[in-house]
Amino acid sequence: MIPDQNVIGPQTTSMDPYSGTWTKQEAAHLLRRTVFGPTFQQIQAAVNVGMDAAVNTLLQIPVTSLPLSYDPNETISAVGTTWVNSVYPADATSAQAHETARIKSLGAWLMKRMNTENTTIAEKMCLFWQNHFAATLAPDARASYKYHLLIRNHALGNFKQFVKDMTIDPTMLLFLNGATNTLYSPNENYAREILELFTIGKGPQIGPGDYTNYKEEDVAAGAKVFTGYIVEGLRSTTMTAPVSTYYDVLHDQSTKQFSVHFGNQTITANGATEYADYIDLIFQQAQVAHFICTKLYRYFVNYDLTTDVQTNVIPVMAQTLMDNNFEMLPVLQQLFKSQHFYDVAFRGAIIRNPLEVVFGMFNPCQSAPNFGLATNSDMYVAMYAYAQTMGQAYGTPPSVAGWTAYYQAPAFSKLWVNSTTIKSRFDLANFITLYTGIPVNGSNFKVDALALVNGLSAPNNAVAVIDDLCTVFFPKALTVAQKTLLKFILTGGLPDFEWTVDYDAYAADPTNTSVSNPVKSKVEQVLSRIFQMPEFQTI
Amino acid sequence: MERRNFLKNMTLASVAAPFALNGMNYQGVAKKLFNYSKSAEDRVLVIIRLNGGNDGLNTVIPLDQYENLLLQRPNVIIPQPNIIQVTPEIGFHPAMTGMNTMFNEGTLTIIQNVGYPEQNRSHFRSMDIWSTGMMDVAETRGWLGRYFDGVYPNYPDGYPNATNPDPFAISMGYEVSSTCQGLMANFSHAVSDPFAAVNLVNTGTTNDGTYYGSHMEYLSILINQTNQYADTINAAANAGSSLSIMYDTNNPLAMQLRNVAKMISGGLKTKVYILNVSGFDTHDSQVSSTNPIAGEHADLLKQLSDAVSAFQNDLGLLGIANRVAGFTFSEFGRQIASNASFGTDHGDAAPMFLFGSCINSGIIGPNPVISNAVNAQDAVPMQIDFRDVYASILKDWFEVPESEIQPLFEQTITYYQVLGACNVGLDELVDERNKGIVYPNPALNNATVRFKCQSECVKLELIDTNGRPIKQVYDSNLAQGIHHVPFELHGLKAGNYFVNINKASGKETIALVKID
Repeated sequence: MIPDQNVIGPQTTSMDPYSGTWTKQEAAHLLRRTVFGPTFQQIQAAVNVGMDAAVNTLLQIPVTSLPLSYDPNETISAVGTTWVNSVYPADATSAQAHETARIKSLGAWLMKRMNTENTTIAEKMCLFWQNHFAATLAPDARASYKYHLLIRNHALGNFKQFVKDMTIDPTMLLFLNGATNTLYSPNENYAREILELFTIGKGPQIGPGDYTNYKEEDVAAGAKVFTGYIVEGLRSTTMTAPVSTYYDVLHDQSTKQFSVHFGNQTITANGATEYADYIDLIFQQAQVAHFICTKLYRYFVNYDLTTDVQTNVIPVMAQTLMDNNFEMLPVLQQLFKSQHFYDVAFRGAIIRNPLEVVFGMFNPCQSAPNFGLATNSDMYVAMYAYAQTMGQAYGTPPSVAGWTAYYQAPAFSKLWVNSTTIKSRFDLANFITLYTGIPVNGSNFKVDALALVNGLSAPNNAVAVIDDLCTVFFPKALTVAQKTLLKFILTGGLPDFEWTVDYDAYAADPTNTSVSNPVKSKVEQVLSRIFQMPEFQTI
Repeated sequence: MERRNFLKNMTLASVAAPFALNGMNYQGVAKKLFNYSKSAEDRVLVIIRLNGGNDGLNTVIPLDQYENLLLQRPNVIIPQPNIIQVTPEIGFHPAMTGMNTMFNEGTLTIIQNVGYPEQNRSHFRSMDIWSTGMMDVAETRGWLGRYFDGVYPNYPDGYPNATNPDPFAISMGYEVSSTCQGLMANFSHAVSDPFAAVNLVNTGTTNDGTYYGSHMEYLSILINQTNQYADTINAAANAGSSLSIMYDTNNPLAMQLRNVAKMISGGLKTKVYILNVSGFDTHDSQVSSTNPIAGEHADLLKQLSDAVSAFQNDLGLLGIANRVAGFTFSEFGRQIASNASFGTDHGDAAPMFLFGSCINSGIIGPNPVISNAVNAQDAVPMQIDFRDVYASILKDWFEVPESEIQPLFEQTITYYQVLGACNVGLDELVDERNKGIVYPNPALNNATVRFKCQSECVKLELIDTNGRPIKQVYDSNLAQGIHHVPFELHGLKAGNYFVNINKASGKETIALVKID
């Protein structure tokens, strides 16, 4: 294998607007990085409107519907209505049954968001933030929903305000022990991670307890600042949502002294909003913008921070973020419209995460379960479980640093794939193409091969079908031999015109299964092969 | 031991060392791995990672410090009557009955206060340090990966092959282990079910020199390896067996260790197995608020202790106990003072456990000293560097020459006797198991002699290096069996001493190091 430092890096690190050719290749690159699985039509539409408009369309967060009750164990809110403001029953066993029902609904809802995302960066941004503020689910599904809603509402918003709101979010208070951090016994968990993982990041250790950007004493002082908040209403029989409440008697009223890395500044007692004063102090360090922009870069562009990237790209992004008072939108516009982003070196530079595998199969086929609320929801729970088997359980990242593939050098996204998880990927590929698909309540859900092929540029032309499928599923061109093999599978080894005959027969009588099934099964076989190719595993 | 100064010297020295260049170019290690003796070739190392930072002070409890521990951590401390007394100075958490039996049978060693200089309390940085075995931030290879790289420089190109048909290391579960990260690829192979058959089709493109190309090559090699390794792993798992009835099917670590026992007994030549137990980051609910011997930490320690003791029992029944050794580690211990959430925050040093029939059993290192004043953020200072333990394992277990171990690490290595008990002939091995030991060693103010005797008169005395008697420890009749006799070292100068065991059935002399 070729050592990392010898890999061909980007030719340009210019953050100036991209002005090169704008074809399906570039548009598909943009979409592969910003949505979970673009359709052929989405790619074509992005080409048609041009780069600028395509990016602007993506950078919007649509309003979403609420998660709905569907499980028979949920008795407080009626089936088909939302439970997010419903109380819990008093009996502990019944409350646990409700919690399970609600978490399943929440998980299904999250998967549905990704499966039906349309042309927006919303779901990729939410996953970015879930990985950044990597809390696990709270013991109350309403709190977990609230946490997720906070992420969604701030996804393209102001980073500084986001950190402030996240600091007193009930799920975060529970996850990093803010809820039990009091004057009488400070708990350092949140105070450490807000510095190390959420804002300025940990630098090299340059002395005892000194991590370049902060010291152990800052962790201790920060813990005091954050004292006083507790979480109330967990699984309450009367309160319709868990809340964070500030109690002055639990708050450390002393003046908190910070180290030289914070200019030896102090934070004086300021009650319920003192935490915000401290976050303002943290955000005085230029390192904050640098840290979050590095993370954005690794998530959206490439794991490898070459010297050129560190010199020419990250500082420009960080400056844009600071110039705009930590608003996220301008820096993302700059990134996705930059020459650097479209450099060919980045095509296929990232190995798909498990959710990009699952929805990278379903979404381009316009496949979403459509069987009724309960069946759909359980199918989504199954999709959640598939991604979990491959190493990514949404809502429960493995640690507060998120998934290792986003930070662990030198392997980064290679960490998604090992001997166990590559098999899970291939098993799922077979399961939803050649086999029955996901079985729930007597219904089965698999990729919609006909919808996929009908949406291509010339579905009755075997060569064009394979070309279009390559555009949709692969970041770079396949070899002639690989494309020939795929076409061989599509045509069953017969001359190309036989495919035209078959497809035209189906198009003329689309409800007749005797002509649609042969077309469907041929495309499913091609998809089964495509989904098990190493090329498909990258974006 | 004053480690801070030691560290400063080391840091200066490391700047000029060759490994600073690109994290590469260690002195070449050319000989075939682990091939120095027949016994070393067949040996297996099992590594159990306790993820999150294990609270050492509630795992191996320094009984002589109990009063001050009670002051510092009143809401998480184990009540004295519930502690399993291992020696007069050391107790185990009540969940650790299995490991206590192992200690008494001589298959468990406790290494106290293990860490590294200038502890980093970030989970991630600290785990990186433990995985790489280096303080150097630029190093991304694991300590075993670095070693494997030296022996198999082109890995993964051309592996598996006829000479090396099996994975070098197996990581049980869904992730590979950063301990085995090499330059180009990870030497560990993730196995969640050794019985699963695998037959993946490979169609990868060749590497065109881009990031994409490097992924293509990686995936292509992975698919080939997965198919080929699955065949040998399946064959071994099916050929192997497990004989112990101690495994609890509800204990996930025990179930994984049972599979490891099957693969080893089935003839797989894999040298290293890595297992993970998560959940040790006990900032809250470490103990139940109503019952200090229950809670998350108790459940975790029970899982660990039960699983390891079942595994050791199985290895004995399978007749392969002398081929397998293991150890546990965690990225750090926890602070001495507890917090209000019935938990503890990130700390510094903590004990490691070594297990197996070939360990030099006992206790390495003295009890930590706990202050009677509660100082926020105080933790147990490190006295034994984990990199020295790793180096000692390479030396004792895989019989790698010191000249090849030193270049793998950045500090000057201090070797401990950890796994050398089987590096002797078969007859000698029996003698070795019956030999007396002194623990902890090095010791601070207290030590204990453990020895075996017939029904006879036993006289124990402490002498200095010139043979002058310093202290009479014991002189009386004893029943046949294993005995633990504690004695004080208080007021003695730091330095080397010997303990003489005089008995009719044979005389023994054991070296003891006293430290301040």
